[in-house]
Amino acid sequence: MSEEMKSQDSDNDSELEESDHMDDDDDYGGYYDNDTGDLDIDKPKKSDDPEYFEYELLEIEDVERFLNEEVEVLHSTLQIQPGLAKMLLLAHGWRKDYIIDRCKKEPDRLLIDSRLMPERKVTEQIFGNSAICSVCLLRRPQDYFYSLSCGHSFCGECWDEFCQVRIQQGVTTGIECMAKDCNILVPEDFLCSVMQKPELRDRYSQLSFSDHVKSHPDLRFCPGANCPIIVRAPVCKAKKVECSRCKTTFCFKCGIEYHAPTDCDVIKKWLTKCADDSETANYISAHTKDCPKCHVCIEKNGGCNHMQCSKCKYDFCWMCLGDWKTHGSEYYECSRYKENPNIANESVHAQAREALKKYLFYFERWENHAKSLQLEEQTLHKITSRIHEKVMNNTGTWIDWQYLLDAAHLLKKCRYTLQYTYPYAYYMEKSARKQLFEYQQAQLEAEVENLSWKVERAEITDRGDLENQMDIAEKRRQTLLKDFLEF
Amino acid sequence: MANIAEARIKREFKEVVKSEEVAKCHIKVELVNDTFTELRGEIAGPPDTPYEGGNFILEIKIPDTYPFNPPKVKFVTKIWHPNISSVTGAICLDILKDQWAAAMTLRTVLLSLQALLAAAEPDDPQDAVVAKQYKENPKIFQDTAKHWTHVYAGGPNRTPELDAKVAQLSGMGFDANKVRVALSSHSWDAERATEYLIS
Ligand SMILES: [Zn+2]
Ligand SMILES: [Zn+2]
Ligand SMILES: [Zn+2]
Ligand SMILES: [Zn+2]
Ligand SMILES: [Zn+2]
Repeated sequence: MSEEMKSQDSDNDSELEESDHMDDDDDYGGYYDNDTGDLDIDKPKKSDDPEYFEYELLEIEDVERFLNEEVEVLHSTLQIQPGLAKMLLLAHGWRKDYIIDRCKKEPDRLLIDSRLMPERKVTEQIFGNSAICSVCLLRRPQDYFYSLSCGHSFCGECWDEFCQVRIQQGVTTGIECMAKDCNILVPEDFLCSVMQKPELRDRYSQLSFSDHVKSHPDLRFCPGANCPIIVRAPVCKAKKVECSRCKTTFCFKCGIEYHAPTDCDVIKKWLTKCADDSETANYISAHTKDCPKCHVCIEKNGGCNHMQCSKCKYDFCWMCLGDWKTHGSEYYECSRYKENPNIANESVHAQAREALKKYLFYFERWENHAKSLQLEEQTLHKITSRIHEKVMNNTGTWIDWQYLLDAAHLLKKCRYTLQYTYPYAYYMEKSARKQLFEYQQAQLEAEVENLSWKVERAEITDRGDLENQMDIAEKRRQTLLKDFLEF
Repeated sequence: MANIAEARIKREFKEVVKSEEVAKCHIKVELVNDTFTELRGEIAGPPDTPYEGGNFILEIKIPDTYPFNPPKVKFVTKIWHPNISSVTGAICLDILKDQWAAAMTLRTVLLSLQALLAAAEPDDPQDAVVAKQYKENPKIFQDTAKHWTHVYAGGPNRTPELDAKVAQLSGMGFDANKVRVALSSHSWDAERATEYLIS
């Protein structure tokens, strides 16, 4: 990322900070009073959709053309060989202006920093008409020797073999001189001149293309398995990209699964922690729990966390086993972790226990939403086949029932965001901002569960009621992202 | 084995390994079999170090892609050193990894290892326990390294106090090598070493 971009980002940070809704808690109540408009009319505009991101999906040929254009700019501006231009671009993250500027001011320094020119050139003199190559230790005629700009000479056979070995090891743009303590890079045209067998050229091209894409801040390989698509975006931000080819969604900035509102570093930390602590957290994975009232064993089969005991009809929350009545409306407490206020005075042992408790609290919710998402995927399939049935029986058309599918899709989207609010909250310092976050998280959680409840009972739910619930849930999601997702 | 690798090792034997300079520094390379893929190295412990007088055997494996990739080297002789595993003999040395260059030879490797014995790099450790002792308790480190050199590498410098401690715990029925590791790792505190051996 360039310096300018960085400073832009931090500007945005401070804007976000300023626009915090840091009013009194009392104000939260009236927050969504007017949110009953129609879904279509209220669809977020580009400018105020916190998840809006401009990008294009490119094929390999498009990207090759694009990279060549970049090279061409440098080639024509600085009058340098395209091969050299490409190496400079690779070494400096494709910042053309920076390279042009430095090339005009201090061309030698630029080449040295780019590992294309040595600090000091060695003068290895070859006396007579032959010399010993220090790699194969064989005596070779003088015209067998080749060297890079550093002057370290080796015989052509050794260069050839060396380049082959490196390419087979997957190294291409990073192949260095064979001399000790010399890191001068081997340019492509040099490599082509010493490599006798053309078989490895294709492999070289593929690998170096991949290096070029990876080094370019505007380009990202689609992480989908064997997917050839490359995403190009004018700015490198942690926003959602969806590949139309393989349907993978991912974060443009870091290339892993999309993770709003959590940012790239935090999600990486969280995922590593989850992997490290998987043993500890294993006991949670049970799919069944006992009804808190009549203790009959209840299996969770839908994604909804609002459970109803099949025997005693008690409504409770799957997460905290509390009475659902206290969850649905006023103040949803289940998503908020209550830290022990005296923890600083406790023993190290107690602190460790508290830390684990805190982690498990967030992990349990994170894991639970992930599981709910899987179950809701099944609901989606069920709905699809139900609609199919209805259409076949001439009870309405696809268009009539489309709203059920929309509801299931929206539910997935909302729960996905909800899942990723937990790592965010886990790493958040205790503050007024965290309070606001947890308030909005709780609001979202409540509405997601309401929506989930209604989607699972879609056929007996009034269409207007369902659509209204969709609207509310999506609004909650948007509000949270608007306040906490970096623009 | 690739042509260049084999030809190169043969030439190294002829021109480099058997040179007089090599003999002077007390380093040596021998063939283990006639395939040139596995060699046996030997280095003498450098003077004025706890390794002085010891003779350290190395296992050297030559990869197919030698000399474009480094040889795989580890200590066969047990040694107490921050950059060498006291358990496996694995070595942490830059030229055996990313700093290797095709123009280096076995001679370079052996001389570098000898230099490593003379000047450890505890900030890039292979054996964390040894490195910690090296930094925090240099006297105990020196004695321990000397003791190991005497026991495993035939070094002439005895450490009678440490020998006695090993003998005492071995007398309780523990394996002498395990006792030595336990004592060395616990600053020669017999009580803690015993605890470690029992657990
Ligand atoms: Zn050669
Ligand atoms: Zn060089
Ligand atoms: Zn894709
Ligand atoms: Zn990311
Ligand atoms: Zn019940």
